[in-house]
Amino acid sequence: MLTGENIKLKNGRAWRVYSGGTGPTLLWLHGLGGIAASDPFLAALERNHRVIAPLAPGFSDLAELDEIGNIHELALDYDDLLDHLGLEGTAIVGHSFGAMIAAEIAAHFPRRAKKLALLNPVGLWNDAYPVTDIFAEPYLQIESMLWHDKEARDALAARRSNAEGPPNEAERIIAIAQGLTAVTKFTWPIPDKGLKKRLPRIAASVLTLFGAEDSFIPARYAEDFAKGLPHAKTLTIKGTGHMLPYEKTEEVAALVEKFLAS
Amino acid sequence: MKFHWFHLMPYPELPETFKDDHRSVWVDVPSSLFDPKVGHRAYNDYLDELEYADSVGFDGICVNEHHQNAYGLMPSPNLIAAALARRTKNAKLVVMGNSVALYDPPTRVAEEMAMLDCMSGGRLVAGFPVGTPMDTVFAYGKSPATLREKYYEGVKLILRAWEEPEPFAFNGKHTQLRYVNVWPRPIQKPHPPVWIPGGGSVETWDWCVDNEFLYANLSYFGYIAGQKVNDGFWATVDKAGKERNPYRCGFLQFIACAENDAEAERLYSEAATYFYSRCLHVYPGFGNPPGYTSIPTMRAGIESMVARSTRRQDVENLTWKEMIDRGYVVAGSPESIVQQLDHLTDKMHVGHLMVLCQYGNMSKETTLYNTTRFAKEVIPKLRHKFSEYEDKWWPKDTLDSIAEPAPLATIV
Repeated sequence: MLTGENIKLKNGRAWRVYSGGTGPTLLWLHGLGGIAASDPFLAALERNHRVIAPLAPGFSDLAELDEIGNIHELALDYDDLLDHLGLEGTAIVGHSFGAMIAAEIAAHFPRRAKKLALLNPVGLWNDAYPVTDIFAEPYLQIESMLWHDKEARDALAARRSNAEGPPNEAERIIAIAQGLTAVTKFTWPIPDKGLKKRLPRIAASVLTLFGAEDSFIPARYAEDFAKGLPHAKTLTIKGTGHMLPYEKTEEVAALVEKFLAS
Repeated sequence: MKFHWFHLMPYPELPETFKDDHRSVWVDVPSSLFDPKVGHRAYNDYLDELEYADSVGFDGICVNEHHQNAYGLMPSPNLIAAALARRTKNAKLVVMGNSVALYDPPTRVAEEMAMLDCMSGGRLVAGFPVGTPMDTVFAYGKSPATLREKYYEGVKLILRAWEEPEPFAFNGKHTQLRYVNVWPRPIQKPHPPVWIPGGGSVETWDWCVDNEFLYANLSYFGYIAGQKVNDGFWATVDKAGKERNPYRCGFLQFIACAENDAEAERLYSEAATYFYSRCLHVYPGFGNPPGYTSIPTMRAGIESMVARSTRRQDVENLTWKEMIDRGYVVAGSPESIVQQLDHLTDKMHVGHLMVLCQYGNMSKETTLYNTTRFAKEVIPKLRHKFSEYEDKWWPKDTLDSIAEPAPLATIV
């Protein structure tokens, strides 16, 4: 179970950072849904790692985005945070939008990341197989589009409900809208913000994982990431969608741990 | 009271099976459905109708801006207003308006509106909508996370560009200009009245009240559904300790004026059905992208008109009776309409009533009939209303003598 704390940096910027587990440090950058203390994927990683998981700017307060104008300023903000946390040459694992941030941190500040695991990463664009415009869907449909394994989705909802009590539907929708608003700031209307050009700057060893049935980021984006990261190890997991780490939690956690240990 | 004749300029020949064959009338509606010859006729008919509204005594004629859609064919309302400036004399040109966040730099809007004010002899009302999500974030690719701050900054820049007599530098978050120096300048001083079309965002109420802008509640769903929005606006006025002057507020209403209820149904029900089932056939995902609606507005439980229009079960299969019962369309004899609008304007406390006498695929002939009866038999009965208030949201510097277009033969 993660515990969260609010920290304030020298530059005045506030962050909410969750942490838990013991072992080598691993920085987790979450996907479209933010962080829940009961996150099962992080519970799996916590068994052998000290997991540090900052909540992306905007997810708890949209006003945090006012001073972050673009992806470069976002990367700078994370750099300041990692300074504060004393993290350099660390393992960074990111999912979806978080994987885009992870790649950007590693590309902007190559010394920050020694190992980089990108799960269903956002950040590239290919005209031949465009990223689905999930923002042009009603909120509640976005959620179901992201999951291939609907039983896993229901199981996660039940787990959260047990841990946090039954959800308030209105507040849940507001939370989804707020998180996605933060994501749109850095990915609208097309998530290609130059990462393709910057990928070769990444010095870390890289693992990319894609869900074969991901209806948001087609698994073929594995090829596009591989072009910019010729030494990366790339895997596509059958029978999974965009919520890969929550659809095959143990399998994906084992793959990530094996990669981090290698 | 003042009465304004509003044109949406719909594409009038969407196929019968449109809503079954296409997911949306906006954003990704195939442009192959647009026949330019139909467009030629429609634009010219629509201009005739707006000009006619001027000739029968409407106070204002209204145009607005929409993109990539068959709902309203005015990507540039300024072009239409420019055409109207030449062939109208009395009606004010209510441009409702320019979606400021779409223009880089926004001084383009200040320039074009100043041109319109000069051309029309000081008859411009300057409307500044945020713009629907379909227009702004989908068709024009603006991030919903920053759309509103870009809009607010743009409006401030435009007003300052009109007010300041000397060039100035503008170092904004979204616009940086070393030299802001708008030529031409508007006739109206310090600038034309500013009207803000709103669909129910709580922050827009504060913004209008703080800056003395008119708030126009543009509703497709009549006063019953629009009441909550107006109540919120007036509560904001009260809280600020300002006068409950009805001319602070505008409201849009569909009108179906005829000899009696039966004739209204016969003349207008097909066009109204065309509007609600085809023109409002917006894919729900386009109606409310994340970030477009602020968190406070979501918490207030106010659904925007656009979001509401995407609840398809509410709009697409309406019967004429339902449109009437719910107040979407105010229909009937002139006497009945006078009574209904008297009630509506009391409840909503609005001094500026914008009416839609053309909607959907309504023919020019029917539109002019609707317009004529409304102008001759409804307006005079309600004209006196709210005369105890001063309308401070209306052009005051209109020239006494407006230039006439010279007859072509005499030029040579």
